[in-house]
Amino acid sequence: MMLDHDTQRKVELFLFEEARLLDAGDFEAWLELYRPQGIYWMPSQPGQTDPLNVASIIYEDHAILSIRVQRLLEERALVLTPMPRTTHIVGNIETLGHEADCLRVEAAFICVEHRAENQKVYSGRHTYELVPDEESFRIKMKRVDLVNSGGTHSPMSILL
Amino acid sequence: MDHLMDHATDRPAASLTADDIRGLVRPDHVNRRAYADEAVFQLEQERIFGRLWIYVAHESQLKKPGDFIRTRLAHHEILVTRHNDGQIYVLQNRCPHRGARLCMVDQGSSRLFSCPYHAWVFRNDGTLSTVPHSKSYPENFSLTDPQHQMTRIAKVQSYRGFVFATLNPNPEPLLDHLGPMTEVIDNLVDRAPDGEVEIADSSFTLEYRGNWKLHLENAADIFHPSFVHSSSVMPARRAPENASILDGDQTREMLLANGFSTNEWEGIQLTGLSGGHTFMTNFYTKGVLVHEESDPVAARYKAALVARLGPERSASVLGVNRFNNIIYPNLVINAQHQQMRVTIPISVDRTIVRVHCFRLKGAPDEMFHRAVRFLSTLGSPASMIFSDDVEMLERCQQGLAKDSEMWVDFSRGFDSDRAGKDGEVSGVASEMPMRVQFKAWVEYMTAEAA
Repeated sequence: MMLDHDTQRKVELFLFEEARLLDAGDFEAWLELYRPQGIYWMPSQPGQTDPLNVASIIYEDHAILSIRVQRLLEERALVLTPMPRTTHIVGNIETLGHEADCLRVEAAFICVEHRAENQKVYSGRHTYELVPDEESFRIKMKRVDLVNSGGTHSPMSILL
Repeated sequence: MDHLMDHATDRPAASLTADDIRGLVRPDHVNRRAYADEAVFQLEQERIFGRLWIYVAHESQLKKPGDFIRTRLAHHEILVTRHNDGQIYVLQNRCPHRGARLCMVDQGSSRLFSCPYHAWVFRNDGTLSTVPHSKSYPENFSLTDPQHQMTRIAKVQSYRGFVFATLNPNPEPLLDHLGPMTEVIDNLVDRAPDGEVEIADSSFTLEYRGNWKLHLENAADIFHPSFVHSSSVMPARRAPENASILDGDQTREMLLANGFSTNEWEGIQLTGLSGGHTFMTNFYTKGVLVHEESDPVAARYKAALVARLGPERSASVLGVNRFNNIIYPNLVINAQHQQMRVTIPISVDRTIVRVHCFRLKGAPDEMFHRAVRFLSTLGSPASMIFSDDVEMLERCQQGLAKDSEMWVDFSRGFDSDRAGKDGEVSGVASEMPMRVQFKAWVEYMTAEAA
């Protein structure tokens, strides 16, 4: 679907803002990008459609995400000592269509995490349902499909 | 599962004598070499993972002929299969022709395993079915020659759906090895209103850079949660009740439960058994995890169970309240939450943990959804709990790897443990489970071949 240039640009700026907030460690502001009933979903299998009968790496609403965010801000979080530094890159941003009250957007991502002596790379695809909100958007749903979702993982402590 | 390949196994472990092994373990201390010495690890692969009964699969993964899963037994990659004779076979995942790995997926269904190199084709019991252009092989080349079959692990036995295998040609009976730990498998299965459990299709495979024993010790350690998990306990305490629209507050309750203090340290009963098995009493006391009276899902579930077992037996099944039941050397079961973890050693400082949950057949779907949520909350790579555990396991390994005379201290509770009439040991606020694990470790590691 061909969107007008302004809408496409607004979507891109919204995703860039989200990436910047994560890299800056401003997780509370990041959470504010979500609607009060917004959902963050990181499936454990490629093509997973069921979050209830199939375990997800993360399937959380605003209430649980806010605990996750507060944990990132806790001084004693072991996996965050020292605090990881990240670079989130979002690209290939495509607005795929309107659904009832929202825009469906897909993007590719790469994130490099540096912590203590280690550097890790995450990549995959984001799928968003974005609801227009004043001049910008709020996230109704964000799905993160890691390229290695079904594989072997070491602990993930950052947000993607 | 490329990560499962390693470079181990050709080095003889015989350089360590029984006295060397005994010299690593004191009643309340363990030398760091038990975790960091490559020769010790090779001997463990031979004498623990190569001789004991090791969990390899659940029968619900092998329902019909052709079904298989891929996993690991000691240093072998193996396929656990259901053949069309109805039997379960455990086969080395290797073509006997040139040695190539045969199967490259973790599970599936196939009547034949075909080697892509020279097209030797095997049945699910490992026997050779066909080779192309058979007339070019020598006259005495026989399809039925065992040398031309996938190597079969001879000893395979199930206990109520749980499949164990061993490389040991003369193992003790499976039931003797499991001992009283059969009760936790019984309890898991008995909790199903239809009398049967199914392993969930989804699971997690986690890797950490540390010795396999660190995970078992952590699962038996009641002292670390308050400290290691404070970063999730504190925000959960500040969060409002019942705010989530997804999970009936289960995640918050699970995070809260790690907020231990003296009450839990002194209230959680620890038990250790000969053979190295240990368990503790549960510490989840609130919310959907404990079937509160007001919970309509729990009410429907209990009614279904009572219909099958009657009220008394049903109450006794649901009354079993044991947490982190560790079947030595590598299986951790939580029957009341339908959870299971399997520890798979890869090298002296690298370990895989597979985390599974079960469906209780005949129970309301919501019960399974809770088990799935439990699995994610505790066992996902993004778990707010387990990721902090792993961080500590890795820091221990990093410290223990340094060449020095370092003795790990397991002395807490040493003076207060109580021995029971059947050789079991009980205690509270104790590192007794680690002492029990290492007592068994020495016995296994110093035993001569049966």
